[in-house]
Amino acid sequence: MMNKQVEWILWVGLFVILALYPKVFGIYYTNLFVTFAVFAIYSVSFNLLLGYTALFSFGHAMFFGAGGYGTALALKHIQGLPLLAAVLIGILSAVVLALILCPIVIRVTGSAFAMLHLAFGQLMYILALKLRNITGGEDGIGGFPIPPFNIPGIVSINMKAPENFYYFAIAVLGISLWVMWFFTKTPFGQIQVGVRDNAMRVDYLGFKVPQTKAVVYVVAGAFAGVAGSIFALFQNLIAADSGFSVFVSFGAVINTLVGGLGSFFGPVWGTAIMQILEEVTTRYTDRVELVAGLILILVIMFAPMGFTGFLGWARQKWLAKPAGKIGMGKIS
Amino acid sequence: MDPTTAMYVAQGIHGLAYGMILFLVASGLTMIFGMMDILNLAHAAFFMLSAYFCYQFLSMTGNFWVALLLAPVATAFVGILMERFLLRKIHAFGLMSQLVLTVGVSLVILASVKIFWGTESLPVKIPPILSGLVVIAGMDYPIYRLFIIGMALVVLAIMALLLYKTRIGKIVRAAVSDADMVNALGINIPLVFTFVFGVGIWLAGVAGVAIAPVLTVFPGLADQMGMDAFVVVITGGFGSLAGAFIVSIIFGLLSSYGVQFVSSLAPVLMFAFMAIILAIRPMGLFGERE
Repeated sequence: MMNKQVEWILWVGLFVILALYPKVFGIYYTNLFVTFAVFAIYSVSFNLLLGYTALFSFGHAMFFGAGGYGTALALKHIQGLPLLAAVLIGILSAVVLALILCPIVIRVTGSAFAMLHLAFGQLMYILALKLRNITGGEDGIGGFPIPPFNIPGIVSINMKAPENFYYFAIAVLGISLWVMWFFTKTPFGQIQVGVRDNAMRVDYLGFKVPQTKAVVYVVAGAFAGVAGSIFALFQNLIAADSGFSVFVSFGAVINTLVGGLGSFFGPVWGTAIMQILEEVTTRYTDRVELVAGLILILVIMFAPMGFTGFLGWARQKWLAKPAGKIGMGKIS
Repeated sequence: MDPTTAMYVAQGIHGLAYGMILFLVASGLTMIFGMMDILNLAHAAFFMLSAYFCYQFLSMTGNFWVALLLAPVATAFVGILMERFLLRKIHAFGLMSQLVLTVGVSLVILASVKIFWGTESLPVKIPPILSGLVVIAGMDYPIYRLFIIGMALVVLAIMALLLYKTRIGKIVRAAVSDADMVNALGINIPLVFTFVFGVGIWLAGVAGVAIAPVLTVFPGLADQMGMDAFVVVITGGFGSLAGAFIVSIIFGLLSSYGVQFVSSLAPVLMFAFMAIILAIRPMGLFGERE
């Protein structure tokens, strides 16, 4: 009972903090939090592939970019498109891209999968640069209208105010995280973990391994599309460098790795940590690449399980009951 | 000879030269992967580092040939240090860790290059004997491109001799097919790994020096090459030298003729070729099933 109450208090506390956050920290940190929300969704969707199905994609940015470009193009060309419809079109374009790639990529695993994504991601990047009359080349698509969040007859919220967009972003973050969490807890999510641990055995049990991978792949792509779509709305701009660049793909890998591979919320932690680090390093030095590279090397060498791995280790070391001694006492 | 044919031949020479450089980079990549199961994402960074070393040695000694000899060796030394002190320690953690580690190393190399040499592009002068044109059968050929092709062929020949005619080559080939078994036979496999890694980086280094006079030396030198080399390795089949060679040449010709005929879509041609090959053979042209 006590635990349930503590849990409720924590939830309420979290809501109060999130609700008051823009009032307390001002506009700069509010926008920073929106960026965090976008990349948290994106990194968790990446981890659906990597952590839950052991599909290591080095080109996850293409879904992010597809979502962003989908939303931006829709808002630019369709007059009076509602906000949620625009987001939906972004998601849909990411899903379509995932469906196109599915037949090729689910047949391979391991490094071939990773490298294929690196190559396809780069292809999307080049296409975004070269198809200038559609994508705007290096400049990308910017300045499209941001529609208000509209529920007819009830409410119409202006999304151009940073504070309102913050609440919208948090809502999307919360919903996305919950849906993905739920997705991993369904029986299908368990098959997914089975595919990761031993694909052959899952196959013998009569489940269809390639189809399972395909579904996970599409779902992960869809949520990366959500992130990209929100990002395009937030910046009011999507360009090849911010959408399809290989560094966006690496970002997901880095966040997941720093946060911790084996856990659902690891990538969220990782995104937060990397964002804080980036904030601090850009403030004190312009050698961002050097710092990022050194962090990667140090994490891999000394904390391969990331932040959540470290938390688990620390909990075991300092917080666990000294089980050994109790055992000994009973014997004597 | 009429101008149209001359243009085709000139584009062909350009394409072959680029294909050869691509092969030098991709062969190291695919060899390291075939033997050690490591996808070295820092490979292109070493390629760029070698070009900087070339600039450095050239400005110190003033002799291109010395730079050509020393820069790849110095690069290979850095690569061996990375293998020995970083990659070897995390070999047990699997693919993901290796990929991320090599990304980290390539970021550090990029940042160090910017710290030591700045971000502007540095010119590398080739010796007079290699500059200019040579006339063969009534047509002009740029000597330096021919030199690149010739040098790559020499390197290829040496590699083939090393692999198929020496004891070390036999050990390496055996280790590609089953490293554990070779280790059990009393051969120091970690040492062989380090050797192969060093040779792979050396090949990338040779390519870096070869391209330095053509493109000048700048931090973004490896962006294009790194991606192209990966696409070559994927399309040719992981671990296959023959696949890497054939696909490199095809890509070199595709890119040079592509620029000629469909200039805006030239970079896409390569990926389209890759997609077609992979749709038919997911393991690549000469790859074996995983």
